Amino acid sequence: MEASAEERIARMERDGTITSGQAAMLRASLGSTSAPDGEDAGPRARGHRHWLPWSLLTLVVLVVVVALASLGSGTDAVQDVTQTLNQPGGHGEMNRTLSALLAVALLLVVPLLLWVWLHNGLVAKEERVFEAWAQTESNFQRRADLIPALVDTVSRYLKHESETLTAVTEARAAVLEKLAGLSESLIRGQKEAAEILRQGDADVIEDEATLARLYRAQAEVGRGMNGLFAVAEDYPELRASDQFLELQAQIEGTENRINVARMRFNDAVRDYNATMRQLPWNLVAALGSFQRKAYFRSEEEARNAPELEFK
Amino acid sequence: MRRSSSSNRLTLWLAAALLAGLAIGFAVHAAGRADLVVDDAGLMSPVERDRLAEYHDYLLKDHDIDYRVETGRDLGDINTFAVRRFEDFAETGRSERGRGLLLVVDAKQNLVRLEVSYALEGVFPDAFVAYIEQRQMTYFFGRDRVADGILAATELIITRAQRAAEATGFEGEVWTFGSGGAGATTSARLGTGAEPVEPRNDGGNHAAASPTPQETLAAYFAAMGARDGDPDLALYTPATREMLRDWVMTPAQMDNVVRSYGACHAEAPRLGPQGRHAVIRYPIAERACAPWFFEKIDGAWHLDLTMMQKAIRFGRSNAWRLDSAARHPYAFAFDDWSFDAHGFPQRRRP
Repeated sequence: MEASAEERIARMERDGTITSGQAAMLRASLGSTSAPDGEDAGPRARGHRHWLPWSLLTLVVLVVVVALASLGSGTDAVQDVTQTLNQPGGHGEMNRTLSALLAVALLLVVPLLLWVWLHNGLVAKEERVFEAWAQTESNFQRRADLIPALVDTVSRYLKHESETLTAVTEARAAVLEKLAGLSESLIRGQKEAAEILRQGDADVIEDEATLARLYRAQAEVGRGMNGLFAVAEDYPELRASDQFLELQAQIEGTENRINVARMRFNDAVRDYNATMRQLPWNLVAALGSFQRKAYFRSEEEARNAPELEFK
Repeated sequence: MRRSSSSNRLTLWLAAALLAGLAIGFAVHAAGRADLVVDDAGLMSPVERDRLAEYHDYLLKDHDIDYRVETGRDLGDINTFAVRRFEDFAETGRSERGRGLLLVVDAKQNLVRLEVSYALEGVFPDAFVAYIEQRQMTYFFGRDRVADGILAATELIITRAQRAAEATGFEGEVWTFGSGGAGATTSARLGTGAEPVEPRNDGGNHAAASPTPQETLAAYFAAMGARDGDPDLALYTPATREMLRDWVMTPAQMDNVVRSYGACHAEAPRLGPQGRHAVIRYPIAERACAPWFFEKIDGAWHLDLTMMQKAIRFGRSNAWRLDSAARHPYAFAFDDWSFDAHGFPQRRRP
């Protein structure tokens, strides 16, 4: 049976492949990207909080209008319909009251309905951003869970190789030193990424600097993994093994999923941000305190990105 | 007289309408199939493209998997190309349950990617996709047999889909047609030539022909388990050795032999009248377990893959059948069975 990530970390710590500190960092990154209970629902719940007072206000206005309309037309006595018959060219009392109330209602309700529609449209776009981010996060987690397996597989093989085949002590030491450096870089990047992802979704994706920091941390993880794969390239037997092929396929597949999720997240952010800047959504966004979302991209991508976001 | 003439005219009109309907139906069907294989890089002949399209059309009918193939030159980032292509297919996906596969071959970058839809991620994980690409498909690509490589991989896809359908509730799941980047990309190794398979351990060096057909078959399975694709194994007949020299023997094929027959229950060998030929067959119900033919040479039983190649065919669901037109000395082993019009075995009614 395949060892779990936790078992691999314990084994690597026992074998001296990683230090206790590194083991703690790896453990902390397993299954840790979800925010603590309650925080996770923050951004999604916030949209409803905006929606609630305005819904109540709309309801109150409608109730008042209906109440006024019934007051204006209601009476306890049996209505004498002959008095309500309009003379040619004249207007009945009830008709005038109703018309005025309806006009008021229209003036109040139509803009409100329009506002609600615009608000809901923006909420839906914001939801798509959060959904896309959740997908990105789950792929980060998937990768985090694979990292112990990669470090463990490569280090065990290299240790075995260096003990049995490498005659020169310096060469053996150099290989193991390189491996330790790559593992350190990988684990450090993973630790930083996990710390950032532990913050609430909104804190991460509404802050350009945090997202840029996360990008750098993930890039460091990527570099560490590529380094380990490059080391494996020098060992055809390791590279050709089915176990390594499987691990490599899982990791490369996860990397691709991250790229796809990132692409879709940036598409959703672009759509949301562009809408927020257009009239009349910008008024709704300002009143509803909608926040602009940051793109998840490298500094180079950010430099080359077009300034305008209008579709 | 007039009545008869108008009746004839009506019949003619009806016949013309029927023909037109048939022609339109055929054209629509052919156009639908044409979308399944788009070979802009020109890696396949028209006959091969049609064969692939036909096979993939069956895959859609039998397993509701919409499997498409696209080749091109310099498609940019192949991973992004594949996922974007999938987005294009969202409207036109033909699978009712969102099951889609897209194989992209970039001839210039020498890369191949099999993109897997959300619905199939659980059945075809990335590791399996990488396996069929690296251990099956690209061995054929190396010899410029692109269509054969794709078909060989499709066989493994079908086998896995069948097992998933039997083992899980996979059949009932309905997904939207789309992909989140699942699948695998690998070097296509186009035109790199035949690549020898490195056997595990010492391979099948000791796989000699044995005094009983069962022992020879066990030695063959051991060689396949060790991924020894050496055409000169001592347990083959001379004709088999000759034939295997031109064959593409992939690691996945060898693994598949061991995996497939692991669940089969062999009957006692059936010997021919002169004692020179033998057959090991399996119960009819085990449809994927094809029989093995043996020839006795110098007192030892040798595996006769040449005759098996002539006589045994496999249907769409990997069920074996006998080619009634093939001439071979092993017919004695099936005297107690009858075969349907397609050659599928049936128990003879008393």
